[in-house]
Amino acid sequence: MIRYLTQRIVAFIPTLLGVSILIFSTIRLVPGDAIVAMLGTEAGMLTDTQRQSLEVYFGLDKPPLEQYFIWLGGVLRGDLGLSVRHGQPVIDVILARFPVTLQLAIMAVSIALMIGLPIGVLAAVKHNSMIDLFGRLFALLGLGMPSFLVGTLIIYVLSVYFKILPNSGDYVSLIEDPSRNISQMIFPAITLGFAFSASVMRTTRSAVLEVLTQDYIRTARSKGLSEAIVIQRHALRNALIPVVTIVGVEIGYLLGGTVITEEIFALPGVGRLLFNAISQRDYALVQGIALFIAFNFVLINLIADFIYIAIDPRISYAQET
Amino acid sequence: MLKKHKSTEVSLIRRLLRNRSGTLGLLLVVAYALIAFLGAVGVTPYPTLEQHVRDRLKPPSAQYTLGTDLFGRDIASRLMEGAANSLRVALLSVTISAALGTLLGTFSGYIGGLFDTLLMRIMDVFFALPALLLALVIVSVFGSGVTTTVIAIATVYTPIFARVVRGPVLSVKELDFITAARCLGMSDARILFRHVLPNTLAPLIVQISLALSWSLLTEAGLSFLGLGTQPPNPSWGVMLSESRGIAEMAPWLMIFPALAIMFGVLGFNLLGDGLRDVLDPRLRGHKS
Amino acid sequence: MRKIMLICVVALFTLWVGTVAAQEASNVLIMARAADTTGLDPHTQTAFASFRLLELIYEPLVNLDENLNVIPALAESWEFSEDGMTLTLNLRQGVTFHNGAEFTAEDVVATFNRILDEATAAAARANYLNIASIDTPDDYTVVFNLSQPDVPLLAALATTNAAIVDSADIESGDVATIANGTGPFVLDNWTPEEVTTLSANPNWWGEGPNVDGIEIRIIPDETSILAALRAGTIDFALLNDPLVATLLIDDPNIILNRVPSISYNVLQLRAVVPPLDQLEVRQAISCAIDRQEVLDVASLGEGQVTGPLTMATFALPPNELFCYEKDLDRARDLMAQAGMEDGFTLNVIAANAEPPTALSEAQNIQAQLAEINITVEIEALELSVYVDRWLAGDFDAAIAQNGGRPDPYTMYARYWQSTGNLNNVAGYSDATLDDLMARGRSEIDPEARYEIFAEFQRYLAEQAPWVWLFVGYEYTAQQPYVMGFVPTPTDSLLSLAQVTLER
Repeated sequence: MIRYLTQRIVAFIPTLLGVSILIFSTIRLVPGDAIVAMLGTEAGMLTDTQRQSLEVYFGLDKPPLEQYFIWLGGVLRGDLGLSVRHGQPVIDVILARFPVTLQLAIMAVSIALMIGLPIGVLAAVKHNSMIDLFGRLFALLGLGMPSFLVGTLIIYVLSVYFKILPNSGDYVSLIEDPSRNISQMIFPAITLGFAFSASVMRTTRSAVLEVLTQDYIRTARSKGLSEAIVIQRHALRNALIPVVTIVGVEIGYLLGGTVITEEIFALPGVGRLLFNAISQRDYALVQGIALFIAFNFVLINLIADFIYIAIDPRISYAQET
Repeated sequence: MLKKHKSTEVSLIRRLLRNRSGTLGLLLVVAYALIAFLGAVGVTPYPTLEQHVRDRLKPPSAQYTLGTDLFGRDIASRLMEGAANSLRVALLSVTISAALGTLLGTFSGYIGGLFDTLLMRIMDVFFALPALLLALVIVSVFGSGVTTTVIAIATVYTPIFARVVRGPVLSVKELDFITAARCLGMSDARILFRHVLPNTLAPLIVQISLALSWSLLTEAGLSFLGLGTQPPNPSWGVMLSESRGIAEMAPWLMIFPALAIMFGVLGFNLLGDGLRDVLDPRLRGHKS
Repeated sequence: MRKIMLICVVALFTLWVGTVAAQEASNVLIMARAADTTGLDPHTQTAFASFRLLELIYEPLVNLDENLNVIPALAESWEFSEDGMTLTLNLRQGVTFHNGAEFTAEDVVATFNRILDEATAAAARANYLNIASIDTPDDYTVVFNLSQPDVPLLAALATTNAAIVDSADIESGDVATIANGTGPFVLDNWTPEEVTTLSANPNWWGEGPNVDGIEIRIIPDETSILAALRAGTIDFALLNDPLVATLLIDDPNIILNRVPSISYNVLQLRAVVPPLDQLEVRQAISCAIDRQEVLDVASLGEGQVTGPLTMATFALPPNELFCYEKDLDRARDLMAQAGMEDGFTLNVIAANAEPPTALSEAQNIQAQLAEINITVEIEALELSVYVDRWLAGDFDAAIAQNGGRPDPYTMYARYWQSTGNLNNVAGYSDATLDDLMARGRSEIDPEARYEIFAEFQRYLAEQAPWVWLFVGYEYTAQQPYVMGFVPTPTDSLLSLAQVTLER
């Protein structure tokens, strides 16, 4: 087990390295540079000398390969570089935004699980009944509406009919003012959670259906166990694997930030940070965020792997490596 | 419940039609495909790009069934061509990512060992990259358009398919019947195609139907950020995001594309559900 | 299930508590806008969004009023010598920077030395190149000695790009990181893309500020800004998108301010690219476009059709300009004269959402030009990519929104002088334009200057290197209790210093 763990952690490193190389090269493929992005059409006013002095200032004057190794060296020392836009260390900029994204992800996934799991199990147990059909239709509504539409509608209804808008660009953190914070986060979380609940519901339904036909369930049934116990003790536990998979994927995805929802609800999260960093060609920040997101992602995958093993003893970690 | 699925002779479609959600899904998807076909060959009430400047922002009427947009273009016609464009993006990107992802996921999971580790690490790299970043970079480098939208969506979804398929493969290959097959001296290829792959089919089909609807939504999201299908060509996502500013003034601009996307997503999902029920080897009653 | 209910109740309760808490009245103006400043150095900023913040913190020597007349700021009065070779400014006394340092002529000299230093990369440097030297007879007098007569110089000083900074900050190299100005508001905190807080400068020389401070929130989505106005959670907002702004015209609870802008929307043709190098082809395009239709379609008619000059003091009525009435027959004739009756394909670049109407303008122009067999291909680009290609002159035609200046020379010298640094972007130059520009720079008599620039406009419209389309409005929106805001064509927020909140 410990050997497996170390092996998995060692396997992290090439992934992160791969991410860093991929990011570093692709972001430089994109036309336009930080200076142009910063100055807009007025960058045409710059003379060559002015331009060069800006390039030296941003460290853009060195060859890309050298820039990469300078950056990588910094990363190994825990220094992700300086953000051109924010004039602060990249790591500080990211850490300031990350709690928003983390909280949003957790709230959204919780909401999705609260809606999706019960409907999914019910739909599977009462397969092809009216509950099944209506439950699915409801969840599919969530799936079928683009999140920017749901977000826009929520904001419209709140502002026009209720004359409230909990977050008008004045985000407060959970520690500063918990009730304000929750009121600001709940609607974006619903926007994201509503969409994801459909995936949870479907995956749950599908997995439970599958499990219910397995031999051991038949055995359990034939032993005369009540349906409720069969489902609770045997079916659910085994049906959880695919649900864990998609929840892992979704959390990883949400931790990468959700630009659209953050834009609409004016939340200072990682997604908006990344989007702005890309359009402003703030290379150090883009690389930093990408690496940070990748790190989270790999971490969550690792956790998901452990959960598989925990709930399904048949997957042996010896085989995995 | 299981008894219903006993007969194996009935054709796939027939069995599908016996399934409530399958029937509904099939209907929606066929209707969608038909509309998209008409839109693609240009059988629309008006040419989709024709601007009737004097009839700008007209609500639905006998002349313009679903109203007109900012330019006085007929919404109904644009929805029809939009169906074709959206469907093209969805089908292409999902086909590419599902094929590639399944291939990689199956081999990775079945062969295991170093191969699995290596492949999954590479998938991890793509997976771990923020999807938005991938899409933005691809679109910025190659310019926006149908092809780049497809590449962007496919790149993001391939690792997801690989992962989704690999999970069940790992699970299935530890099952008794695979071990038994191996003991009986079956070749790997045979085991793979006869026993392992069919067992990944159910989650795969669910995933494909989900991915089709996702790509409809992703295309809409990319359009919201200005990265999707290029104007003046319509897609549902473009129409929806164009409508955002003025939906209050002209709600029909938002309602119809939104309904179109919802029914499209609903159709793919219900069909996926139905197919899953019908195709699942165990639900079908003859165990491999 | 009970747990879920409980969570819902708790959530709703906290929501209620949260919104009640948010409605405390205070004397701080809450303002929202979609884009943030790109930096704090007043001399290197070029984005409109940056000026809207920095003009509250920094002050130039002179300012512009709502009619674009030059008015005193840090200079109380000024005088050109008879030969136009020196400009003398008398500075305001008793003005202090936010850090307490006194403002003197030394700061003016240091500021202009910094702007003129190439290494600074100052955005407006080109406008001050005629300043040969600066004399300071005493602490409150500054004399600009010019290398040649330069009448537009005075109006060119009225920009945040020429804001006076503390000479000590220049020496220590802190201008880019701290915001130490003389303006009505002091910068307390700036979190990029999130929130900026300003407090009133009690020592400001002018009248005000009457509010205790301003909190500027970045809400990237204008539809959400609209919602926040309606919900009453913000007092004041800057809006860009005419489609969003027009929703407020009939709103009884919100006041929408609009002033015609001096920025113009234009179809830039690059006359160096065939077949646009043929005068007839460019003229045909100009004649084939109904500019009012572009305005109606792209911007719901929010704005006015315009010629090359947009400031009221110089602009000619559009009907005096070449082909401002759509004339398809003439356009087809011109195409035939150029041997282009079968048309050609024209690639037009446009930035996504910059301005918000860009893609709509492109689509309408596409439809209109189809009538003379020109197939327009629209290439929608991310803003940075667009700017990159625009600067490199890597396009055939472009939909652009370019900033205006109060003086025509300052506005166009960079494009229409063959030595102008954006002449390659403009894609056209000739001796007539060079001559007109040179005369416009040195002519002191206002009437003669007006005539020069009237000819300039007629000539440009006839040569049709660009097809000028329309000017939009500058929009601000506010709650009714925000009193005393004066909107200006440059979209300046300076009058926020005089605003009072009467909730």
